[in-house]
Amino acid sequence: MNQLQQKYQDRITHTLSKYPDKRSAVMPLLYIAQEEYGWVSPEGIDQVAEICDMDATQVKSIAGFYTMYSEKPKGKYWLQVCTDLPCALRGADQFHEDLKAYLEVEEGGTTADGMFTVEHVMCLAACDKAPMLQCNFHFAENLDMDKMKVLIEQWRNEVNQQVNGSR
Amino acid sequence: MVKIYIDDREYDVPAGMNLVDAAKWHADNDIPVFCYHPKMEPVGMCRMCLVQQGAIEKDRATGEVVLDEHGQPKVRWMPKLQTACTQRVTDGMVIRTNTAEVDQARQNVIEFLLTSHPLDCPICDKGGECPLQNLTMEHGPGMSRMQFQDKQHLDKHVPLGDLIYLDEERCIQCARCVRFQDELVGDDVLAFHERGRRLQIITNSNPGFDTYFSGNTTDICPVGALTTADFRFGARPWELTEVPSIDPFDAAGSNISLSIRLDRDFGGKAMIKRVMPRQNESVNEIWISDKARFGHHFTRSENRAQSPMIRNANGQLMQTTWEEALKSVASILKAAGKDVAAIAGSQMSNEDLWALREVMSAVGSTRLGAWPITHAGADLVAQVGVGVGSNLGDLGKGDAVLIIASDLEEEVPIWRLRLKLAKERGVFLAVANARHTRMEDFATACLRYDYGMAAHFLSNLRAENPDLAQQLAQANNLIILTGAEGLSLDGSRALMQAAANFLIETGHVGKPNNGLLSTFPGPNGMGQYYMGFTPENTQDIMINPPKVLIVAQADLYHDDPSASQWVHEVETVINLTLFADETLSHEAHTILPIQSFAERDGTFTNGERRVQRFYTAQGPIADALPAWQVLSRLGEKLGRGKAKLSAATVMADIAKNVPAFAGVTYKEISNVKRQFPDVGGRDLYYGGTAYQNRGGLGVQLKTTAESGEAINTAPVELVNAPRSQAGQMLIVPTTVLYNRERTFLPSALMHPRVMMPYAEINSADAAKLGIKSGDVVEIVADTMRVRVKAHVNGGAPEGSIVLPRHLTTEAVPMTMTLGRVSKVD
Ligand code: SF4
Ligand code: FES
Repeated sequence: MNQLQQKYQDRITHTLSKYPDKRSAVMPLLYIAQEEYGWVSPEGIDQVAEICDMDATQVKSIAGFYTMYSEKPKGKYWLQVCTDLPCALRGADQFHEDLKAYLEVEEGGTTADGMFTVEHVMCLAACDKAPMLQCNFHFAENLDMDKMKVLIEQWRNEVNQQVNGSR
Repeated sequence: MVKIYIDDREYDVPAGMNLVDAAKWHADNDIPVFCYHPKMEPVGMCRMCLVQQGAIEKDRATGEVVLDEHGQPKVRWMPKLQTACTQRVTDGMVIRTNTAEVDQARQNVIEFLLTSHPLDCPICDKGGECPLQNLTMEHGPGMSRMQFQDKQHLDKHVPLGDLIYLDEERCIQCARCVRFQDELVGDDVLAFHERGRRLQIITNSNPGFDTYFSGNTTDICPVGALTTADFRFGARPWELTEVPSIDPFDAAGSNISLSIRLDRDFGGKAMIKRVMPRQNESVNEIWISDKARFGHHFTRSENRAQSPMIRNANGQLMQTTWEEALKSVASILKAAGKDVAAIAGSQMSNEDLWALREVMSAVGSTRLGAWPITHAGADLVAQVGVGVGSNLGDLGKGDAVLIIASDLEEEVPIWRLRLKLAKERGVFLAVANARHTRMEDFATACLRYDYGMAAHFLSNLRAENPDLAQQLAQANNLIILTGAEGLSLDGSRALMQAAANFLIETGHVGKPNNGLLSTFPGPNGMGQYYMGFTPENTQDIMINPPKVLIVAQADLYHDDPSASQWVHEVETVINLTLFADETLSHEAHTILPIQSFAERDGTFTNGERRVQRFYTAQGPIADALPAWQVLSRLGEKLGRGKAKLSAATVMADIAKNVPAFAGVTYKEISNVKRQFPDVGGRDLYYGGTAYQNRGGLGVQLKTTAESGEAINTAPVELVNAPRSQAGQMLIVPTTVLYNRERTFLPSALMHPRVMMPYAEINSADAAKLGIKSGDVVEIVADTMRVRVKAHVNGGAPEGSIVLPRHLTTEAVPMTMTLGRVSKVD
């Protein structure tokens, strides 16, 4: 049993049970790997390949095709701001710039403490609630920088608590 | 047959044929393609093959052809151009390939493919034989509307493993390489990554591009995106001369083409720059293994023997002339009376072997030994081998193949590839061995027996595996393919006899695609038999060493741990060899340097008894001569008549004296005929850069079963295999494709792929002995003592140690034996 199987035994068994063959479970398993490592790391790919009985090449190919798998290391919170036209009309592009300045990161970059990665993305289908972003695939809507600062504080605390809790 | 119309002419073509193939084969009309390949399923990805397509209209009620106002059949055209590669011909299909619309479409596709192509043809290995280049010249727009600065730039030097390089910018995303690995080989270690213009080929296997067939992707890649580490920037294709040759490594006898050029790296002599496949649809189609492609460096090894040498009175080897050397050998042979024996390796050509036999006849000795002594039963292949006209590519539904005691992927990779495809066409493929082998991944049925019990298993098949026996017996065509893993020489003979009996009893002999095949090591295992050299004789030579022993192209000390003992008892050793540093040199009295397959011509007889010709390609090494010439001159000195002047005249002698070769001539062996698919012509885009066969398709020798003689079964003499007991384990020597044999080691680019010496141990045994994976263990058996890394896994059955041959510098036994294993601290 590899690391992922040990840690997520129940979820993996449940996922595998939903499909007629192991190969079909590759995408949900890649999400588990991404959750574990913060990105689809080489060790994640190898373990998913092992579980699905596929060549690691095929798993990497799938991870490369879909944009919701990240093949680069990411911060704990992956902030994807939609800057497409309707959102931009509601000030999303400025919001995106302000957010990067506040966190002191470049586009696609991660904060020095490894907490936040900021990048802009195409439409997330929430134009009416722009500016908005997706954080680890959950939406945060009707944002401005003040609300954003509160959220950032909240996320920082979450992590601190986890760290303290585990001590 | 159906009627189709291409550019207003009528053709009869077989129903259901692919339209691109049909147009090419029957109408000589080359529809340009990039992604389509005649050996693979169409995917319609590149759009290069667009044609105007229609059908002759028929009246629905009457079924009669509708005529237009001019009384001509009316054609209902499709509104848009269609991809020809995804169409199968049907009756009344009408195609136009020469309209302005089609021209325009072709031009547009080319222009699109070139939007981000680097156009670095002047430094590209493919330049000169590149489908994209050729089709751009023929159909391209000549001018680009794209801005050069806007091109997408990607990585140009991406190693896909150690053997193949990828240039991401040149790739046109046709997926031929991906599909080859996936559909044809079954090693799906290539895939696409990302999307759109950034789409690239990746491999993520360990090691990268982990397959024995990677080189073939460079042949079928329609651009210079995939190139080999061996040939990269080595020469321009138009400087090369293609010389037909034969893969010198295994029993398949794959047809290859040696691309040579006069080269300053080789003293201005002709030098092999690369090895390419040569089409022979009955043998290797258009594929070769990476060993065949990259293993040619031994021919130019710095250890090649340069001149004849004789040991002087002080025991030193001194250089001499051929005349002196041959005179000396002749007098040694005369003085020895009849007490002479010869051992010949399986890379000797038929002509070499015959000339050696003539020398032996001259001294009155019949002690002709074949080397190595792993596989017995070549005589049975001569009797009931696969019939004339056999082609693994013809096997299909209703046919069956049994592979027994062989790790086929490691022993004869091309047969493994072709049988994997046969299985997919519906062949019942059974694989029997004492352990898991790669072939099982492709098998219909997998069977297990204990090591040493292969012959027992097959003899008792009807009693113990009645279902399997019935499947095999009832097959329309049946081939039994044997190896010799886990068998002694006697055991191998028993297995061959059991296989022959089964084939005879079930009526599967004397016709194409029926009979016996075996993975004889080297390219000429069957030639050894026909020329009179047998492993049984060798065994006898080892037990009763002669006074004088002629060793010809046989690496005794590297193959046999007991060699030092029995060779020592020989008074005089005469060694015909490629390499000067063979351990045998210390024993040899005379060293006669001979030429490799690349430097002279000759023939090999492959496992299917196909006599195939190889031609002189590379320049000679110092004084080395072809073995047949050396031996024929020696024969002259021994009173066997004038020495022969060419390999062809030696073949004439063989044809006169060896019944199976009656009527075989170089002319006949060199005959060629048009083969489907038509690859390697002017239109490289269709099939890739595999070469057309201009050197000959070979002649398959008739089996006794085909010459009308009655073939009878003979009793199987089962031998008791050793059993592991009281601390002794079975040491099972196995074959791995990439090893440290003299003829492979000099190919330095393969070194990363050659495993460090290892042995596989069953986890239960390992636990008992306190051995973990990665531990160094010492294995001691009879005359062998080796140290290797332990691989603890489920691969080796309990009680046995799987020990690959030719990975260690010390010799490993040729056949299974008992021995002890201990951990080294
Ligand atoms: S590397 Fe060559 S064969 Fe493979 S997809 Fe690209 S162009 Fe086609
Ligand atoms: S689409 Fe037909 S050859 Fe590519």
